[in-house]
Amino acid sequence: MSDPVYLDNAATTPLDPRVLESMLPHLGGPRGNPSSLHAFGGSAREGLEEARARVASLIGASPEEIVFTSGGTEADDLAVLGLARSSGSEKRHAVVSCVEHAAVREAARRLQYEGFEVTWIGVDGDGLVDPAEFAASLRPDTAMAAVVWANNEVGTVEPVLELAEICAGTDIPFHADAVQAAGRVPIDVSETPVSTLALSGHKLYGPQGIGALYVREGVSLEPIVYGGGQEKGLRSGTQNVAGIVGLGTAARLAREEMDDRVTHERGLRDRIMAGLEEIPDVLVNGHRELRLSNNVHLMVSGVEAESLVLFLDSLGYAIGSGSACSSGGHKASPVLLAMGLPEREAFSVVRITVGKDNTTEEVDSFLEAFSTAVAQLREISPLYAG
Amino acid sequence: MAGLFVSDRYRPQVVDHLVRPRNAGKIADPSGRGESGDAACGDVACFTVGISDDILEQVRYKVYGCAACIAAGSALAELVEGKHLLDAASVSKADLEDALGGPLPAGKEHALTLVVDALHKAFEDHWNRKAGEMLSETKRGQGAGGRSVVAAMSGGVDSAVTALLLREAGYDVATVTFRLHDGERGSRSCCSPDTVLFARDTAHRMGLPHFTLNLKGLFDRRVMQDFVGSYSEGRTPNPCVACNAHVKFHASSFLADELGFHHIATGHYARIEEGPTLARPVDESKDQTYVLWPVPRDLLSRTVFPLGDYRKTEVRAIAEERGLAVAYTPESQDICFIPDGDYRRFIRKKVEAKPGDVVDREGRVLGRHAGVVDFTVGQRRKIGVSAPTPLYVSEVRPRSGQVVVGRRQDLEVREVRVRDLNWFLDPEEAASVQVRYNGSPVPCTVEEADDGWWVAFLDEPVIGVAPGQSAVFYSLDGERVVGGGVVARRGS
Repeated sequence: MSDPVYLDNAATTPLDPRVLESMLPHLGGPRGNPSSLHAFGGSAREGLEEARARVASLIGASPEEIVFTSGGTEADDLAVLGLARSSGSEKRHAVVSCVEHAAVREAARRLQYEGFEVTWIGVDGDGLVDPAEFAASLRPDTAMAAVVWANNEVGTVEPVLELAEICAGTDIPFHADAVQAAGRVPIDVSETPVSTLALSGHKLYGPQGIGALYVREGVSLEPIVYGGGQEKGLRSGTQNVAGIVGLGTAARLAREEMDDRVTHERGLRDRIMAGLEEIPDVLVNGHRELRLSNNVHLMVSGVEAESLVLFLDSLGYAIGSGSACSSGGHKASPVLLAMGLPEREAFSVVRITVGKDNTTEEVDSFLEAFSTAVAQLREISPLYAG
Repeated sequence: MAGLFVSDRYRPQVVDHLVRPRNAGKIADPSGRGESGDAACGDVACFTVGISDDILEQVRYKVYGCAACIAAGSALAELVEGKHLLDAASVSKADLEDALGGPLPAGKEHALTLVVDALHKAFEDHWNRKAGEMLSETKRGQGAGGRSVVAAMSGGVDSAVTALLLREAGYDVATVTFRLHDGERGSRSCCSPDTVLFARDTAHRMGLPHFTLNLKGLFDRRVMQDFVGSYSEGRTPNPCVACNAHVKFHASSFLADELGFHHIATGHYARIEEGPTLARPVDESKDQTYVLWPVPRDLLSRTVFPLGDYRKTEVRAIAEERGLAVAYTPESQDICFIPDGDYRRFIRKKVEAKPGDVVDREGRVLGRHAGVVDFTVGQRRKIGVSAPTPLYVSEVRPRSGQVVVGRRQDLEVREVRVRDLNWFLDPEEAASVQVRYNGSPVPCTVEEADDGWWVAFLDEPVIGVAPGQSAVFYSLDGERVVGGGVVARRGS
């Protein structure tokens, strides 16, 4: 069998060798704490600040507005909890969309537990938030609002510019989770008035375990980690210097190569969509145009997702499943249910996400394997009468 | 290098069954078909079986579900095809796990339950097809000489120990659980109700084959409708008696005949003596002879009640000692199809209750009531009429909607008319009669009436003799059941 083909780039991307190379001196060489005054500390600090500038530059921010975190989840938690908790005792309401990544969704649930009222904004069948509905949900006591820039499951890109402007006009802090969008969608915070924005290293061909939160100058935020006051007090704890340097390199490469990557990914994505739609009873979820360049999300009628993922795995193809099965009950994705997918169809969804290193040959052999796997699983499915 | 990417969450055997499923598909003209699970839960398994001379000649399966479910279906089909029905019905979840190379990943164990349940439902369908309009009430007795027995298993400790004792006594044992109604515990789950799954696990842990029979139609007709009808006709039914008279023993006997087995067994506390006749068990506090009187003689002659020789405490001790999980199950409730015990609410859901008058024995109206279903002869509470001396219900007249009340002494009865008799011994031997489940036998003499009914003349007056309840006659030494019947309405 030929080499396995990786088509689950929304879960994590491979580490770019150029990123790895930039990290190595900080892993294997002499090491200092970036807070130390001596030369060792100085060298670490230099790497840190260079990376900060590179991350800022990917999204049009200034370096002082970047806070490094342990990943996308921590960045989202810091934004949602931090914005809400610093808003004063009269503001006890938050607005959050129904298509957030679990990092934002669960942080908002935490707010509910703390006594905040949360308005969950629904979406249409493509997963799009309606700006008018969003605007109507904002109140004088709204402490913060959050809508994902691009959804991690179906890849729908939200009208964040419009939403952020609505919030800016009413002085309500607005958070955007851009973990999937960064490097695939042009992001410029000097044009889009978000208050905070979350990024992650390992979705950008950078290392796992590193992320960043953009915090607009003047926005007040309560930390969720306390200690030595690093990262301007917003994220205490000695920084993960190697990870941060890797994220910096990944951000620089993403900015330089974004156009080429997007063109390449889109070509592969469209090839997959066209190929898969030839299989009967396969439906694409999410918006056709307003969609990430690397995302194909499908409902495969009569086939349960996990069995399809494992079947393809055994043939050497790695894709993502859209639901989790355990203890006798499947858990349908809240995002798909919010989009109006019936529960039983929500168990039959898979996510295929290409990356910059995938090839046309890989895609073609994948299409063949996919069609074989679906045919065989349908053969034994009591729910497919094709 | 694909191996690196094969998920380490599953063993290679599971992936192999997923990618190369055995026995996938369905039989066009099967002997039985069973389905378990629900599309809304995300898992569905469907088995079709071809059975000939009790050999499982063909097994085909289809599964929609996670890899564990598909692999479990494939492995189970492979395991049981070609086997004798009794061996196939003994295949446990543990056997299936072995066939899949060991325990499934955490959280995937339900796959085993799902496919085993679907296969067993196919067996159940096979029996129901053979029985036709179930489990027609034909009684076919076979010789009682052999050492094979069908033991009814409810999921409780008594029936589990019954099966265990029989196996240890050297019997070939097949177990059976009846589906009687839809109110069973755990009915919301995707598979069979918890009671069925629990009974099956218990049987399989003892290494015994387990079957299910669907008796819902028969049980509804013979027990539940009778229960509702009796109350609205002013009688006080005993559903356990109705079940023993028409359902449980007949169905066990049917399965024994089909399997070529000699005996049937239940976990009742009673003994069977020559005759055959019923006799009191060792544990008097658990005595169930009062509800067993209607078992037809030819069925009783092939029945075994192993628990008649044990005390309940010994039964629990045996279960504990042998590691049966059922050792700690609670005592079952009085009426299995009314789990909350509120039988009046149950009846009101089935029939409309009509208000009527509460009258005294002279016909004077004392008050109103909300429906005759709320009253039983002998009842003292919730009559809704205040009086200087306590009032008791002495009669319920469903046609006029009247509930007659009187003083305690007005309820005293010295003569009880009994219909639908089932005699085990010569009626002459009847020396006492018990007319309530928790009552004691009262000395009496009996006499046959012109219409085939019998009259019991009581040596001392009894109060609260309710039409519809059982009248069970005991021998002079009080040990044996001479026969039994149903208390008839006075004056009818």
